[in-house]
Parts: sequence; C-alpha cells; structure tokens
Amino acid sequence: MKPSRTMSAALAAAVISLAGLSAPAQAFPDRPVTIVVPFAAGGGTDITTRTMQQPMAKALGGEIVVKNTAGAGGTIGVAEAGRAKPDGYTLGMAPVGPLTTQPHLRKLPYDVDSFEYVCLAYSAPTSIAVRKDSPFKTLDDLIAYGKENPGKLTFAVQAIGSIPHIAGLALAEEAGIEMTYLPVNGDGPALKALLDGTADIFVPHISFLSSNRDQIKSLAILQGERLEGMPDLATAKEQGFDLDFPIWGGLVAPKGTPAETVAQLDDACHQAIESEPFQAHMNKLGQPVAYMDAKEFGAFVHQRYEQNRQLLKEAGFEPK
Amino acid sequence: MDLILSGLADALTPLSLLAIVAGTIVGVIVGVLPGLGSVVGVTMVLPFTFTMPQVPAIALMLGVYCGSVYGGSITAIVLNTPGTPQAAATALDGYPMAARGEADLAIGWVTAASTLGGLFSVLVLIIAAPYLAAFSLNFTPIEYFALGIFALTCIANVSRGAMAKGLLSGLAGLAVATVGTDPITGDLRFTFGSFEMSAGIELIPAVVGLFALGEMFVRAKERWRPENTATFRVGFRLPPLRDWKPRIGVLLRSSLIGSFVGALPGTGAATAAFLAYSEARRSSPRGDKFGTGEPDGLIACESANNAVTGSALVPTLALGIPGDPVTAVMLGALIIQGVTPGPQLFNNHIELVYAIFMVLVLVNLVMFATGALGAQAFTRVLRIPEPLLIALVIVIAMIGAYGVRGNMLDIWVALAAGLVGAGMRFTGFPVAPMVIGMVLGPMIEQSLRQGLLITRGDFLAFFERPIALALFVLTLLFLVWPLLRDMRARARRRAQEASDEA
Repeated sequence: MKPSRTMSAALAAAVISLAGLSAPAQAFPDRPVTIVVPFAAGGGTDITTRTMQQPMAKALGGEIVVKNTAGAGGTIGVAEAGRAKPDGYTLGMAPVGPLTTQPHLRKLPYDVDSFEYVCLAYSAPTSIAVRKDSPFKTLDDLIAYGKENPGKLTFAVQAIGSIPHIAGLALAEEAGIEMTYLPVNGDGPALKALLDGTADIFVPHISFLSSNRDQIKSLAILQGERLEGMPDLATAKEQGFDLDFPIWGGLVAPKGTPAETVAQLDDACHQAIESEPFQAHMNKLGQPVAYMDAKEFGAFVHQRYEQNRQLLKEAGFEPK
Repeated sequence: MDLILSGLADALTPLSLLAIVAGTIVGVIVGVLPGLGSVVGVTMVLPFTFTMPQVPAIALMLGVYCGSVYGGSITAIVLNTPGTPQAAATALDGYPMAARGEADLAIGWVTAASTLGGLFSVLVLIIAAPYLAAFSLNFTPIEYFALGIFALTCIANVSRGAMAKGLLSGLAGLAVATVGTDPITGDLRFTFGSFEMSAGIELIPAVVGLFALGEMFVRAKERWRPENTATFRVGFRLPPLRDWKPRIGVLLRSSLIGSFVGALPGTGAATAAFLAYSEARRSSPRGDKFGTGEPDGLIACESANNAVTGSALVPTLALGIPGDPVTAVMLGALIIQGVTPGPQLFNNHIELVYAIFMVLVLVNLVMFATGALGAQAFTRVLRIPEPLLIALVIVIAMIGAYGVRGNMLDIWVALAAGLVGAGMRFTGFPVAPMVIGMVLGPMIEQSLRQGLLITRGDFLAFFERPIALALFVLTLLFLVWPLLRDMRARARRRAQEASDEA
C-alpha cells in the first residue's frame, strides 16, 4: 500500500505535536535570547559580548542575538533591557557606569533595583597614568607636585561621573590635593590630551595601558594586589592609598525574571567565561578573567552603587 | 624600496586581494545606500576580521572604509541625496550636472577625483606619517576651536544666493547639535524631559532625513511624468584630459586639505569636504559657476574626503589615537589582531606599516574599477519608476537611521528632519549649512569649553597661540574680503558713472 499524501501529512503533524509536547521539559530557551549592548558595535563592551555569544549559546542550548542600543553613556540600552518582558529572553550587558554612577548624576527610568543580576562577565583594574617622559615616577611625586601647585594638575576624564573621574576625585580627596578636571571623549582623546600637553594624568583601563605602554606609564594600579600579567606595576595600596576602581560589567535581566531562568543563564554565562575562545580573547587584551555568580554579582553591584553615590555626593554631584 | 616591495607582496596574497576586492565592493554599496555610513560598514565586517591574518583583516576594513566614503557621492549625484554625510557637499554640483543629463560624466569626475585624492593621501602617509602625527600634537583644544570657527565660514560658500537663509540654516544646525548631554558638565539640555532625548540628535538620522527623506517628500508631491526620468544618461564617462588640465590645482589643494584635516584626530571627512569645497569656490576662476554643476566642486569634495581615509590612519597608527569614528573601530580590531599602534609600530613593525600602505594603494585602484564597472548599475536607478524609487529610498533610509545605534528615537528624528528638509526645499533654504552646523557644533563647543578650562577662563590666551591666531586671522580675512571686494567694485562703478556723466 502506498501511503497517501493525507496520511503522510497526518503523520508529520503527529510527530510535530509530539515534539511540541515534549518541549515543556526543556522550556527555556525555545527562541533566541537577546543581549542588549548599551554601546555601539565595535567597541570594547560589544566585542567582549560577541566573544561570549557563541560559547554561551552552546551552553544554553539555544541561540543568542546581540543588539546594540547606544546613547547617553549607555543608559539608553540598559533602560531598554530593564523594561523588557521579564522572561529571560532579553538581557543587558550592563557596565559599571550606567549601573552604579549614572543614577547618581541624573534621573533615569531605572535604578539598581530594576534588575535581576545574572553574572559578572568581566572586570579589570584601572591605573593612574602619566606621559612616559613625565618627571613623576610614583604617586608621591605626583601628590607632592599637586600640593605645591593647587589646581595646576590637569586630569583628563573620559566622561563626567565615569569610574576614572570618580577615581580621580577619590585620589584628590585622600591626598588632599586640588586638580582641574578636563572632560574629553573617551580613552583616545584622553591619550591625545596627555601627549599634546593639555593634561597631566588620566585613568585608563588596564588593556588600554598595556597597548600604549610606549607612550604612557602607570604610577599606580587601582586595585589591592599587583597584576599577575604585569607584576612590575606598583599598586596604589602599596603607596598608601587604598583605591580600588575596576571597570566591570555583567549580564542583567529585568526584575521579575524567574529565579530558575536566571540560574540557567548564570550557568551558561559561567561556561562561556570558562570557554577557550573567551579566555584567549581576554588574554589578547591583557585583561584578567573575572566571574561572579548571580548572588555575588547582585551584592557587589549594590555595594558599588552605594560607594559611588557617596563619592559623587562628596564631590558635589546629585541627581537632577 | 625593499619595504615597498615586501609590502606589496603582503598585499598581493590571494586572501588579501580577496579582502580588498570584497571590502571595497561592500564599502561602495554601503556608501551608496543612504543612512548606512562608513562606521556601520566597518562594524558589519568586523566579526570576519577576528579569524583572519593581520594584513587581510586590515585590508577588508580599509576597503570598506574607502569604498563607503566614495560610494556616498554616487547617491548624491544620482538622487540629490548624499549616501553619507561626507558626501553632503558633493550633491551641490553633482546633482545639477546629472540633471543636465550628464550623470555618467559626474560619476566619472567623482570616481577619478576620489581615487586620486585617496592615492595622494597614501603618498602623504608614506612620506610624512610620523612628522604629521607629531605636528597634529600641536593642535590642543584651542587650535581645534580656531579650526572649527574657520570651518564655519564654509556656510557662506554653500549658501549661494541665499546668504541670510544659509546663515539661519547653519545656526539651526548648531542649535540642534546642543541637544542631549552637555559635553563638559554632563547635564541634560533641551531634552524636554524625555529620557530618550538625553542621547542627543545623532548626525546620520538627521542627515538622512534632511536629504534623503526631504528630497523624496518633495518628489512625492510633484506629479510624476515618465519622460523626465528617461532623459538621464546612464553609465560611466571619464572626463577628457583637456578638462582636467585647468583643474589640477583644485585637485592638489583639496587633496592637501583632506590629508591635513584627516590627520587631526576628532575631525573627519565631512569637515574636510566642506573646507575643500569652499576653498575651491574661493580660489577657482570658475567660482561663480559653483552650484550649477561645476566639476571643480565635485573634484574638491571627493578628493578631499577620500584623502581623509589615508591620513586618518596617521594618528591611528603613529599615536594609537583614532582619527575619526571609523578608525576608532579599526583601532580596536588592530589591537585584537595583536598589532599595537603607537610610535613603536614604525620602528618594530615597519613591514606591516608598508603592507598597510600598499593595501591602501590597491584599495583605491579597486575602488576606481568598482566605480567604472558599477556605474551602469548605479545610474540605472534613474530609470526605476519614480514611485517605486521613492518607496525604496524611504525604506532604506529608515533602516539606516535606526541602524546607527538601534534607538527608536532616531526614526522619529529622521522623519521630523525629513519634513524640515522638504519644507526647506520649498522655501529656498539651503540644507548643506545645517549639516555643517551639526558637524562642527559639537567640536566647536567642546574645544571652546575645554580651552577655557585650560586657560582658566582667559579667552585672550586663545590669541597667544600662533596656529590658533593664524586661523582666527584667516577667518576674519575670509569674512571681510568679499565685503571689501564688493565695496571696491561699487566704488569703481560709481567712479565710472561719474566720469561717464562728465
């Protein structure tokens, strides 16, 4: 007997509906998960996220789409992730600035409690850097000069209220010096300001420092211990200043995302970070690998949020 | 010489060649489509570079970059809507020439000028990269401010016969540029309480609206007759040598302007094109024909904006400071490739530097071929029935506007700018000055306020710096000179009349 066309169709339909029935056992994800990157494609955060994309999709057993929503220092994209449906299908790669400093500068449609925290995906220290031929060799040199010449040290900041800016404010506060803050537009322009003599100091990310070490030098790494990859660089702590200002970011989900979904995403995130391509990428950037699980990351963000609020408030910044 | 040969060998491997050809073609297409700019193009191919060896990876990105800067001019000529902001000034003479039925010739001019400008800047890059990089460090915020003010004089040169309207249009552009986050204090300005507006008005959606949508809205209003689309000649025609001869000066001057502006980080191809256009209009003996389809105008814009592509690599490679947003993306990719830009690159990896030079030479040649062979297809657009064309352009423009940063606000910005652009066309307001205002506004504002921070609020200190002072004096001269000229002409006429009466 030749199977009729209707018969085959019916069989096919039965198979498909059976497949559908078995689905709930593995409910999430049944469609692509979107990660919103709050900066333009091609930047550091974007490239790091895209390096995670494949390994994380594999661990999750689904697809991941990266979407770039740029603007207003990353707050537009983070807000977009915060107001998405809390089903785990929209996440944000939320960096330190939009999460813990921007809310203290202006009114935003989200705050630190608008999210479920999934995992910390990267974190690297910053450093206080000066021109390579600068007479300053240690933090003490810099501070001694700053004390003798109040306001004369010019500090290039990549953006007002950014982590480098807050690090500068904290240094000035602890050392009792006065500096002039010159807002420029990011790391490249800050480097230019140093090279053309407009500014004396800036605070770059460690990978920016390591790729520009023939033009700038570090006076102090802003974290507790020396870096494994660059053990010759002194920390601020060794020089008497307990400054710890890493630049970090991690995955967040909208508030109300089911706990088991968050756990599943966290697990996939962890596997992605452990994966070979991701480790190789961080290695190329001269950046240590970092990870925190959902609970740790949530507590960490809240702690930094509070700390940055304090520092900004002392410097006279309040949300308008 | 050995370096040039070894560089050439690196640039001529099969994979590099493939990357050059593919990159350039993709770039030209990205440039042609309104809204998709150089930055979007380069980020589109970025993921492919991660798995490629150094030279092909760089070749792919450079191909897209150069191709897109050139491609924008084709749409400017064919549709009166520049495909990218860099080609905004190209429409001023390109479209009138096409409207005369010489689209093929206009494409010939811009293709040749783009290639020659691009090659000129490679030459500059080979001969002078380290010196030019060192020189660019003489430009502190104070010099940027002076340059920005000087560049504002371009508004006068693109506001033919409608000076007051041109100035108003330029002012409107400067005003639009202040929307969003204050560059110095971080405060919000003119956002009307809308969170989305805190991201400011992005240049690309605004330009897409003003030009592409504005033009399409105007066309939609006019009654369409099949015969007025059929008169355009399609294809590619190289201008004869005798037409080049008197224009070599314009070509060289504009290529120089482009090469110089490109080497200053934070400026870009749009600024260079406007500067070259107005300088050509001032110095060309055919200056009074500008805006009516004068080849000088095309040569000036296109050789200048393509000269930026080579020289924007100067600070990128020699200092590790990107020359413009496109080279910023490329710099990131270079670092992932394990290339560390900076002074040491020229000492330790000179072979790689020369390979990049040779890639650029090849990219410019491939760009010429793409233009010459593709012109048939591009100019065919003119034969698409107008209703279909309008619909197509509007859809592409909207995708482009949204694609820049994935923000819904930008769709509304493009639509609003489209209505404004259509309104300006009906009332005789030139659109180009508004773009100049939007391009220069952020640079002028930021550099002025940075400069005042450095001098501690002392504006007079701005005049103590020689380069800045020279630029200020030039600005003054450019503003006063036409007035003096007119006054002299009038005085002479009066004297003539008086002697006639006597």
